[in-house]
Amino acid sequence: MNIEKGKISGQQLLFLIAGFVHGSALLIDFTVGITEHQTWMVILAGLIITVPVILSYVVLAKRFPEMNLVQINDMVYGRFLGKVISIYYIFFFLMTLSFNIRDVGELYITFLMQDTPFIFFLIVFTATVSYAVAKGIEVLARVSHLFVVTGLFAIISTFILLIDQMDFSNFLPLFELPFIKIFQGIHIVSAIPFGETVVFLMIMGCLNNTEHAVKKTFLGLMIGVVSLLIVAIRNTAVLGGIQTIWTSTSFQSIRLINIGTVLTRMDFLIGIAQTILIFLKCSIFFYVSVTAISQLFGLKSYLPLVLPLAGIEVIVAATVFQSPVDHATITQNAGIIYSVPLIFIFPPLSLLIAKIRGLPKPERGKGT
Amino acid sequence: MIKKNSFLIIKLIICFSMCISLSGCSGAREINDLEIVIGMGVDKDKDTGDILLTAQVVKKDAAVGGAGNGGGGGGDGKSFWNVSSNGKSIFDAVRQITHKTGNRLFISHNQVVIFGNDIAEEGLQEYIDFFLRAHEMRPTTMILIAEKKASEVLDAKPETEKYPAMNIAKLVETSGFTSHFFEVNMKDFASCMMSGTTASLAPSVSIVQEKDNKDIYVAGMVVFKNGKMVGKMNHDEVRGLLWVLGKVKSGVIIVPSPNKQGKAILEIVKAKSKVKPEMKDGRIVMNISIKEESSLSEQTTTENLATDKALEKLQEASAEVIRQEIMAAFNKSRELKADIFGFGEMIHKKYHKEWKTIEDKWDEIYQTIELKIEVDSKIIKTDLLKKPVSPIKKEK
Repeated sequence: MNIEKGKISGQQLLFLIAGFVHGSALLIDFTVGITEHQTWMVILAGLIITVPVILSYVVLAKRFPEMNLVQINDMVYGRFLGKVISIYYIFFFLMTLSFNIRDVGELYITFLMQDTPFIFFLIVFTATVSYAVAKGIEVLARVSHLFVVTGLFAIISTFILLIDQMDFSNFLPLFELPFIKIFQGIHIVSAIPFGETVVFLMIMGCLNNTEHAVKKTFLGLMIGVVSLLIVAIRNTAVLGGIQTIWTSTSFQSIRLINIGTVLTRMDFLIGIAQTILIFLKCSIFFYVSVTAISQLFGLKSYLPLVLPLAGIEVIVAATVFQSPVDHATITQNAGIIYSVPLIFIFPPLSLLIAKIRGLPKPERGKGT
Repeated sequence: MIKKNSFLIIKLIICFSMCISLSGCSGAREINDLEIVIGMGVDKDKDTGDILLTAQVVKKDAAVGGAGNGGGGGGDGKSFWNVSSNGKSIFDAVRQITHKTGNRLFISHNQVVIFGNDIAEEGLQEYIDFFLRAHEMRPTTMILIAEKKASEVLDAKPETEKYPAMNIAKLVETSGFTSHFFEVNMKDFASCMMSGTTASLAPSVSIVQEKDNKDIYVAGMVVFKNGKMVGKMNHDEVRGLLWVLGKVKSGVIIVPSPNKQGKAILEIVKAKSKVKPEMKDGRIVMNISIKEESSLSEQTTTENLATDKALEKLQEASAEVIRQEIMAAFNKSRELKADIFGFGEMIHKKYHKEWKTIEDKWDEIYQTIELKIEVDSKIIKTDLLKKPVSPIKKEK
């Protein structure tokens, strides 16, 4: 049995994915330090590489209707191996969740509230995320529209306000960086904003209608990609060669807004948008983690897991990295490596095995 | 039912207690505790080698009191307080100021940062970091270079404005009327320093003695190469630079009238520029084309200049003036060996493969660059007069 009884519509999936991808806009900074003014093409290249992989997620979800990732793994790889792979996935979900919670804390401590203790943000944020997760996926799916619209509003309005400061010659020369750097950038982009959509394998089982799942997924992905592109283009056009030195490129470009000395200090805009969208992202990750764990152990409900896991997540987030420098180094170099099999290998492999073995077998019914 | 109600009450109590406890007082900074800084000056203490930081702090009483000077027995009637402190670095000095102010400085509203001449000669590289890194600093803060000491500039009390720093900011903002200098903020300055070949510039500010009053005078730009001051550019040279960058907003061009008896004074209305670098067998040619529109604002001759023939000659003459200004700027930059135009970056963007080979020798190559200047100057209006004020000769 699938642990989640709630149902979401295709439209809601679209906005969940859009908000999820867009929620990584702040993480583009990991790439900017490496790919400089070519970030926009790295985003596009990353998209092209991940499109077939994401397609395999959707096809897999369609092949196993009303099942989540843990159930699929059990069915495809057998009881034992399936469980091992599921644990690997759960580890990935929990770690990524703690990194994202830490991102919020770092955002606040660096730019918005300097003197407040770091742990305070983690606790408040995680408490809110836990509350949202306890309410279930349906609630999250319903508010995702609002979140995506808010995020897009912030991005587009800042883009327009900065148009007079943009210098599009900053994108030249088009191909300058060595290939290895571009490759690393593509890897980061394809793993972090796009590849992480593998979590939706846990959610797509809740779809009430899988008919248009492919279309909706890619539409959502497109909204996310376009917002990432707007962010990358805005930052490069405004800051140019200096964009690599800042802790947060987006924040810095928005601090430059100065329209008639009246419209200044718009930092709050991106603060609001980022908080909301990372909240959506973290909620999805947290929801996926608790449902995966309770599915793994055959619990009847995931609710008892929410608070203990939230506590663990806060502690992990507070201690996992020493500083933003540590965070960036590990994410750029190690973080994207361990997630490779989960994102790029297992889902397509599952699909292949399912095709060969003719899974799911109709006579065995649903569930394990 | 009762159980449900009591649960609701507990929830409400928790919510309200959270409102009180979560709003928090740790790190609270009330407005009357803030030392609002509107300008900063950085000098070097020659004896000890320390930084001498001067911060211009708003006096809250004077600011609230409005026009009345010296409210509450303020003594000299100043509405600002220039507080200074020594330090091993800028941040050190900012913190050491708390010995005098009793509060941390609140720098978010800082308008200008003025560096003293000593610092500029030594190089801004090691001093600019704090102004970009500190979260209270804005990247839009203006940079200026004092001719002598920054603290003296901040001391000169303006006549109409209350605060010297605000006055300087206002002076810089009006640079568009002459295009004799331009506003440079922290971000612009830092981007030039990042590029490696492009020289950074910052407007120069000095004090002129007028009878018994000291006036602030902003004019000309200081040129920095790799963060170190290498020279100064005068009015015409700066405008020559601005023509090429396409940043001329307005200004005055003076040309002799066609019959050489007087002058015609033109005001620039609009200017655009296009720069195309060209590399031909190792030689670099910069094709600069400038489109300028101006109006006839004044004339000092009795000859009627509002005729097609006269205007054409004026246009030619003004194009020549623009060309001379550009060449003056270019010659100056060659003399200083500083790429103020950013030609290096332009070539980097267009010929990035060749750029790798010439990047290291850029200083020598810069001397051999050729400029091809095309100026299209137009006079689009003659303002309120169509004939000069002179006795009209009746045609027979």
